Amino acid sequence: MILGPLAVLGLIYLFLSTTTSTNKEWKILLMDKKEIFDSKLTSNPPKNLQFDFINTFVDYDEFAYQEKYQSYDISVWINEKIVSNKNVIISYRERPPENIQRKIRYLVERRMEEIMVDQFTDLSVSKFREIKQALNFSLKDVYDPKNEKSTTASWVGFSFGGLIILFVFMFGMTILRSVSREKSNRIVEVLLSSVNPRQLLTGKVLGVGFSALVQFTAWVIIIGTGLYLFRLTLFPDMFSPGFVADEVSKTDFSQELSNQSPFVELIYKQIQYLNMLVFFALFFIGGYLFYGSFFAMIGASMGSESDGQQFIIPLTLLLFVSVLSGYYVVYYPSTTLSSWLGFIPFTSPMVMMVNLSNGFEDGSTWQLFLSLIVLFISAIFMLMIAGRIYKNGILRFNHRLKLRMLIKWTKK
Amino acid sequence: MISVENISKYFNRQTILHDISFSLEKGEILGLLGPNGAGKTTLMRIINHIISADKGHVTYDGKLLKEKHLINIGYLPEERGLYQSMSVEKQIIYLGKLRGLSSTEAKTQMEYWLKRFGIQAWKKKRIEELSKGMAQKVQFICTVLHDPEVLILDEPFSGFDPINIELIRKELLNFKKQGKSIIISTHNMNNVEEICDRAILINEGHKVLEGTVHELRHQFKEGIYKISFVGNMIAFANALWAGYEIIDKEIHGDDAFTIYLKMRQGNKINDLLNTVIDHISITGIEEVLPSMENVFVKSINAQNEIVSE
Repeated sequence: MILGPLAVLGLIYLFLSTTTSTNKEWKILLMDKKEIFDSKLTSNPPKNLQFDFINTFVDYDEFAYQEKYQSYDISVWINEKIVSNKNVIISYRERPPENIQRKIRYLVERRMEEIMVDQFTDLSVSKFREIKQALNFSLKDVYDPKNEKSTTASWVGFSFGGLIILFVFMFGMTILRSVSREKSNRIVEVLLSSVNPRQLLTGKVLGVGFSALVQFTAWVIIIGTGLYLFRLTLFPDMFSPGFVADEVSKTDFSQELSNQSPFVELIYKQIQYLNMLVFFALFFIGGYLFYGSFFAMIGASMGSESDGQQFIIPLTLLLFVSVLSGYYVVYYPSTTLSSWLGFIPFTSPMVMMVNLSNGFEDGSTWQLFLSLIVLFISAIFMLMIAGRIYKNGILRFNHRLKLRMLIKWTKK
Repeated sequence: MISVENISKYFNRQTILHDISFSLEKGEILGLLGPNGAGKTTLMRIINHIISADKGHVTYDGKLLKEKHLINIGYLPEERGLYQSMSVEKQIIYLGKLRGLSSTEAKTQMEYWLKRFGIQAWKKKRIEELSKGMAQKVQFICTVLHDPEVLILDEPFSGFDPINIELIRKELLNFKKQGKSIIISTHNMNNVEEICDRAILINEGHKVLEGTVHELRHQFKEGIYKISFVGNMIAFANALWAGYEIIDKEIHGDDAFTIYLKMRQGNKINDLLNTVIDHISITGIEEVLPSMENVFVKSINAQNEIVSE
């Protein structure tokens, strides 16, 4: 009864603590060419934020690669025309957590309010705050200021990972329904007089898994053929040398295409389909076997069809957390948590697809294979546990399913 | 054929079966009797390898019963179960294949049984379209489809109307003629008397009784005789004197009666005949044996009394 809400609470805490809390000290370079801020802030920054002011503009490349800026984590560029255009650009080496971003924004906003009140009005700061126009902050990766690499490619991986989770959920529920239906209509006793429980469970998981793979293959064929046909019909000149030159003189429709070109290029050029599909299949199989065993466990052990709901909720939440972890890794690809999430079997199918789409640095592909090995070992272990629970639970009817009962069944 | 040796089973520190042993001979029908919760279904599941015993073992033809022997057993569980949305035909063939038949064999056997039960027209119907009795017939066919040597049937007559009970009864006797061995768990004691060669009574996990139906009924007889006659009732009663106790009577007309009486003072049936033969015209006389139902009730009550003491 209380397991569901407690699990939700725990997950919320985990998510909040990983996205907000950090002990890291952030060194920030505030670039203020016109010295609008006068090398000071209104209130003292927190201990983990150290601000340095310079009156020159350092572009992204200089900040990213010049030796003297290497000690800085973040640069904040106060635009020379900030009074009118309100633009502030925050660029980072490693994406700061939400609370750090918020603190930086707060400090810049407060200082700007002070300056505006001081120079342009007779209003008090609090009165001015009521009528003021907020600053426009934009966040940039200093290594990818145009946001070309990380997000689009990561989102492709995220989509692949999301598909895995979607398939795992769909076919996991198929296992659960199938097991609980055989249990509730009592045919399972007839089946068990011909085959042993482990064979029955394995057959069920593999059968549904093959059906999932057939559907996946159908998706690949349909989407692959569709993309090929699009290329032949909708984007025939996409990759011809004259395309860019002709672009200007083309009709509105072509103009629209040119706007889409980064995405089109990503779809047709950047994604390494063979690589992605092979690992998609492997992570799908591992994830499906791992999560499938949980669904089979619940199906076999529930006393009635409605009884298992309390255990389906936390399991669905785990899948949801897996999606969230993918989202987290898209934005924070290089944190310690992101690395761990890639090896935890609950999240690795999602996270590794994101990492795979971003590409692995030389010498770090072992992470991909280690993650797969951990996932498959965990899946085999969980299938063994599921086999025990299936054997003990499948012929128990009309009981109230309790966690204690499940733990006991794993031991026999 | 099948030998159950010292089987014990425990659930949650509770003894479900305690040291049960019996054997099933070739061509024999064995009744497994007992009140609800006695442990019959658990015992049947153990024989079918669905659950394992905590102690003891089961042998098949003298060898430890293993999974490979299950192909020679047909099991009809008490809680009937079929895939509701599957057609009768697909269902029977699927379960036949699970029991080791090829598709062709399963199909041939299915045609034979559907025809034998006169239900060929149901072949394409889904189970959910059938009545409970109809589904029971399909389940029975699934059990016997692979022509097993041993049949283990948990309440095989439940859910059937009298006509179909007779149909199933005949089929079971037919299997017996073919030399197949059958274990039946049932609450219907008439069936036990009619078709079982032997019976075992289980109560609270313990074997209470075992023997042929005839032996068990004799074991519980109370020396009651039924005598039918034509003549004067008063003359008959006077002739008996104190050596006999009339416990019941049926009046069939002005001078036709059936009397149930108990012998006293060590009297035998010959003494009874000598006593009354000059006063009435006897049309029939027989010893009254308790029904299996009486045997069942008496032995369960007796065991419960022992336990409560």
